[in-house]
Amino acid sequence: MTAATDMTRIPGAAPAARKTPKAGFDLAFRNASFAAALFVLVLLAGIMISMVIGGWPAFREFGLGFITSSVWDTQNEQYGAWPAIVGTLATALIALVIGVPLSLGIAVYLTQLAPPWFKKPVGTAIELLAAVPSIIYGMWGLFVFVPLFAAYVQIPLSNLVEGMPIVGTVLYARSPSGLGIFTAGFILAFMIIPFIASITRDMLEQIPSVLRESAYGIGATTWEVVRHVLVPQAGVSIIGAIMLGLGRALGETMAVTFVVGNANRLSPSLLDPGSTIASRIANEFNEALGLQLNALIALGCILFFVTFVVLVIARLLVSRVKRY
Amino acid sequence: MTMTTTPRELPHAPWGRVRKSRRTADRAMKIIAAGFTFCAIFVLFWILGMLLVKGIGGLSLATFTAVTPGPGTEGGGLANAIVGSFVLTFLGIAIATPIGVLAGTWLAEYGRGSKLANLIRFINDILLSAPSILIGLFVYVILVEPFRGYSGWAGGVALGIIAIPVIVRTTEDMLNLVPGALREAGAALGAPPSVVITSVTWRAAKAGMVTGILLALARIAGETAPLLFTALNNNFWFSPSLVGGVSNLPVTIYQFASAPYENWQQLAWAGSLIITISILLLSIIARRVVSGGK
Amino acid sequence: MLSTLELSPQTLDAEAPVRIAVKNLDFYYGEHKALKNVNLDFRDRHVTALIGPSGCGKSTLLRIFNRIYSLYPEQRAEGEILLDGRNIIGKDVDVNELRSRVGMVFQKPTPFPMSIYDNVAFGIRLYEKPPKSELDDRVEGALRRAALWDEVKDKLKSSGMGLSGGQQQRLCIARTIAQHPEVILFDEPTSALDPISTGKIEDLLEQLKSDFTIAIVTHNMQQAARISQYTAFMYLGEVIEFAPTNTIFMNPAKKQTQDYVTGRFG
Repeated sequence: MTAATDMTRIPGAAPAARKTPKAGFDLAFRNASFAAALFVLVLLAGIMISMVIGGWPAFREFGLGFITSSVWDTQNEQYGAWPAIVGTLATALIALVIGVPLSLGIAVYLTQLAPPWFKKPVGTAIELLAAVPSIIYGMWGLFVFVPLFAAYVQIPLSNLVEGMPIVGTVLYARSPSGLGIFTAGFILAFMIIPFIASITRDMLEQIPSVLRESAYGIGATTWEVVRHVLVPQAGVSIIGAIMLGLGRALGETMAVTFVVGNANRLSPSLLDPGSTIASRIANEFNEALGLQLNALIALGCILFFVTFVVLVIARLLVSRVKRY
Repeated sequence: MTMTTTPRELPHAPWGRVRKSRRTADRAMKIIAAGFTFCAIFVLFWILGMLLVKGIGGLSLATFTAVTPGPGTEGGGLANAIVGSFVLTFLGIAIATPIGVLAGTWLAEYGRGSKLANLIRFINDILLSAPSILIGLFVYVILVEPFRGYSGWAGGVALGIIAIPVIVRTTEDMLNLVPGALREAGAALGAPPSVVITSVTWRAAKAGMVTGILLALARIAGETAPLLFTALNNNFWFSPSLVGGVSNLPVTIYQFASAPYENWQQLAWAGSLIITISILLLSIIARRVVSGGK
Repeated sequence: MLSTLELSPQTLDAEAPVRIAVKNLDFYYGEHKALKNVNLDFRDRHVTALIGPSGCGKSTLLRIFNRIYSLYPEQRAEGEILLDGRNIIGKDVDVNELRSRVGMVFQKPTPFPMSIYDNVAFGIRLYEKPPKSELDDRVEGALRRAALWDEVKDKLKSSGMGLSGGQQQRLCIARTIAQHPEVILFDEPTSALDPISTGKIEDLLEQLKSDFTIAIVTHNMQQAARISQYTAFMYLGEVIEFAPTNTIFMNPAKKQTQDYVTGRFG
């Protein structure tokens, strides 16, 4: 009997000899990945803290006036963020006004209208718009769009609206160079399109085909299916996608710096040069000293909190996709 | 059983009840949507066309061998900027890959479902779209100001910080796609979690994770804003220690594009062409890896 | 022969006019031929069931009657389907209007993302502009016919997505009948529902038959036997046998039919 048991024993597999292999490595790996994950939190906190501390001298010096003042005078060390804040919001808003309809149209085309063989190349092309570096958009804006815009839109439009109430102010360019708030917003529109369009497309695609079929099944046209059923079904997540685009537009730097005109004064006209928070920082940072440096970081701090709020809302909305 | 009623009259409602306005709206929407799509694609090709037309003329052997010219100097190339961009980009990826992959792994494997993991994922998604100029400011405050000088290291760190969220996100997404049965099979052989992750899960998700790294590479290769205050730029070969300004393509393009010197402008266009083509190719290759790996 | 099957009292009217006539119908998914030379008649105010094993083409056939297949460019039909004598596969047919005449209820409940009231009114508003009071009446009427009125009359403004599965399906039926279609197609309407909800829907079908021509796809043979007057047995894209339901279940002509209804395959 004992001989028989011995025969069946697998050589070298005495249970006592076993222990969990690489127990030390296991713990180290777990801790390392946990540390890496925490690092993501540290990063965000670090950015926040460094902006607040770096900008603190400016906030302390000017208080609330830093936000509301329109003076940006390096000689007398007077700094106010108002023109840059307005410029940032105005360019981002123009970008949304132009970019959102385009993005929604593209998403509808890609999900509902394009022939199947055409979907993939077109979808890729739209996504490649996101891969083009910001600075290239700036080059395109400055060297291609700006001259065309000045010659064919700005000058005729300024001549047309001159003297008119309201539009004569908002759409009148004192120096029709092509540079300005509107141009920056226009370029930004194309930079945010790929983000809004591809998220919206993904949301529309997630809607089960049976819902789409039953909307068609009741005799609705494509437009009615999209408007009454698909878009409400995708609902808040489309708003989330738009907010995400807004977040991009607010912080975009290089393209805007090329075409916004970098004026420190606030003009009532959308066609006049202005500046945004990001373009102001990019332009002046390397020459800045002392309080100017703090004022620029304080600008960054404002930008951080604005985009942070926008992005938090965006992510909350996008993640709330209704499951069917 | 059969009912003997006379055949009932069929209510033949006349056809043609679709109102014209409905059809017009439908057709208009289709044309507008297609038009918008065409518009966006047109802009893409317009930009590419512009780069080709203006950039190809500036490309020559010297572009890749000569250093960037100083103000008023004839000729010159982009050699130092190209090499500098390579160094900074790969430095960024080298910093971001281990952190990003490990963090993504923790989210997908260890922290899955926990409140902390949800918070980290949320914050990561926010970092994913945070303005890159803020990252530049951040690195300026923590690395440039304290050490009193611009450096390639600061530039690499700035790019790395931008790349991390991209890698975290794709790593987690790809690991989540790996079926749980595979992990269980690994664990059933007695392998501890770290061994299951490194030799089973990572291997199963390899293609997707590589894609994430390639996408991060494409994302940071063209970044300009974060380099302005960190790596800066100069017109010489940079020091191998990466201390002091390190020349790089994006900032060179930014400085040369609107400069009054013709050869600078030429080089800006050539640099734009090189960088855009590289990034678009990278993006397309990244897509290929994903579709080939599934 | 099938004592376990409870057959509906057959109120079969052989004189009833043919509402839908399928003639020599072929159907393709790309290169794959999914339906081969189908010929069937659907009679006015009768329930016709399509049965057969999975993949036999019964749902495919149903989806041709309202041309929902034409949402997918790679699918195409050849042959004729005459709705009241008019070929609905023809190019001159407005598919949207066709779908308002041939309603469809799907496998899963599909409330639209709007209120219960708007769900029912949606289809009416597309094609007619009735005054508010008439619209209210039509919505109420449709909900009553769908045996849902009592359950939702106090929350017409709340979302249709908040209802239970069975209620959602009855809402979809109300939405369909509110349009006054001529034909209603049911694509396995109870397969996602519990037995009690299923019973309610079956009762409803019995009621609806007095006003509508009904075609139903079901994988549940008892259901086909309970509610239909005609049954078509399909297999591998062909109609193997088409006859009054009693005949199919009690005395089928083909051996394949007999094997299927007695549960020997499928």
